Amino acid sequence: MVGLSSGEKHFLQGGIAQDLRSDGRKRLTYRPISVETGVIPQANGSARVRIGATDVIASVKAELGKPNPLQPSKGKVSIYVDCSPTAAPIFQGRGGEELSAELSVALQRSLLGGKSGAGAGIDLSALIVVEGKICWDLYIDGLVLSSDGNLLDVLGAAIKAALSNTGIPKVNVNAATSPEDSAEVDISDEEFLKFDTSGVPVIVTLTKIGRHYIADATSEEESQMSSAISCSINKHGHICGLTKRGSAGLDPSVILDMISVSKHVSEQLMIELDSKISAAEACEDES
Amino acid sequence: MAATGAPTTYSPSPVNRKQQSIFKDVDWVRPDGRGFHQCRPAFLKTGAVNSASGSAYAEFGNTKVIVSIFGPRESQKAMMYSDTGRLNCNVSYTTFSSTIRGQGADNKEYSSMLHKALEGAIILESFPKTTVDVFALVLESGGSDLPVIISCASLALADAGIMMYDLVTSVSVSCLGSNLVIDPITEEESCQDGSFLIATMPSRNEVTQLTISGDWATPKIHEAMELCLNACSKLGELTRSCLTESASEE
Repeated sequence: MVGLSSGEKHFLQGGIAQDLRSDGRKRLTYRPISVETGVIPQANGSARVRIGATDVIASVKAELGKPNPLQPSKGKVSIYVDCSPTAAPIFQGRGGEELSAELSVALQRSLLGGKSGAGAGIDLSALIVVEGKICWDLYIDGLVLSSDGNLLDVLGAAIKAALSNTGIPKVNVNAATSPEDSAEVDISDEEFLKFDTSGVPVIVTLTKIGRHYIADATSEEESQMSSAISCSINKHGHICGLTKRGSAGLDPSVILDMISVSKHVSEQLMIELDSKISAAEACEDES
Repeated sequence: MAATGAPTTYSPSPVNRKQQSIFKDVDWVRPDGRGFHQCRPAFLKTGAVNSASGSAYAEFGNTKVIVSIFGPRESQKAMMYSDTGRLNCNVSYTTFSSTIRGQGADNKEYSSMLHKALEGAIILESFPKTTVDVFALVLESGGSDLPVIISCASLALADAGIMMYDLVTSVSVSCLGSNLVIDPITEEESCQDGSFLIATMPSRNEVTQLTISGDWATPKIHEAMELCLNACSKLGELTRSCLTESASEE
């Protein structure tokens, strides 16, 4: 929790009203984004994303598993977030658990789409190896190293970067001789398949302070928020998930306005993030 | 709600479970024969649990929920001093609530969603240093569980005499193909393309909680929002009349 004096609060709110925030940004500008990919060699894909002082690592691990009998033609993806107490003392114990659970649920809602798979950022049917028998289980883990607000957007960006960095080993299936036999699989060490990450949405959180909304709030600004809306938006401009935070009620027309503003913000963020990710990948290939 | 149910409960005889064909056909009928924009008949009653400070029972089609409120009572000793009240929400399912036995006794996700939907409506300043417990139990899960829990919990809070800015009512909409279906049942939820859940304070015209998942274009969000707000205000009237009724009985 950030403790602000009434003078500081006033300064912060006055700045937002005049479209000049305390760090010199405009209301809808993001802090500088830095992306590093391939930071964890043991994972199939990983990325570290920093936006301002918020620093997170996302890793993707793939394991062979059995598909859900109800959905035999789909792989499984699970997303977990860990808020380490090294980032902030309030993350210790229950405070961290609650925040982790909230972030995990919000990310799952944003990235995994509806029950039928519509709007999912990850194509689950691409994870199938043998229908009904073998599929890839993707474990996406986010770790918060340092928190200075806007965790959800940064985690979303890190997962997007980690997925585009992910290589799934190629699997050769030796067809089973009889239907009861489980098919033999042979995981290749050399050949990797890349993911199509063009469908992965970006998450934009607009925080409402006073009458205005700001993008990419720092933790100081977040302490003054009345409510916030996190939209995940894919490249077609469709909303794939939305979560409201904060206790204050919002007028429906304000929500619709916030959605259209976040759509606008997401276009620029998507372009910036894509170029940063490809630059990071190029940098990794060189080294 | 579009239809006000007669104040009788439904017979517990099992519903005839037909294998549902694909919903995305041009003209399909909902499994329970409702119109796309028609809610299930709702039955609400306060005072379901005697020992609680307030309680309510809600029945929306096959979804049956009981919510009891305890408190305001002294916060746990370990908790820090707080000049506003605390709200503690817990949602649990009975072991026989769904077709497969004993799935998810405690639902953490729903508990936190219920908390977020209610905290904006309660005047927490009115009971400093104390905690209000909201315990929701889903007796039978028949789809749209969370909206029913939220609406029922706000009715129970009102019954307990907790100060609130307004009642909270909640409705969800499923997107199936090109159609929007209000107040979906379990069968419809299991194959939905997207879901849209809203909790509102109808008289103040404010949204306390909103979650969307799936794939939504902006015009569809507008349509769903309008549909939900309309249904929420109707549900608000129903809740209000239930409260007046219970008050006049005393």
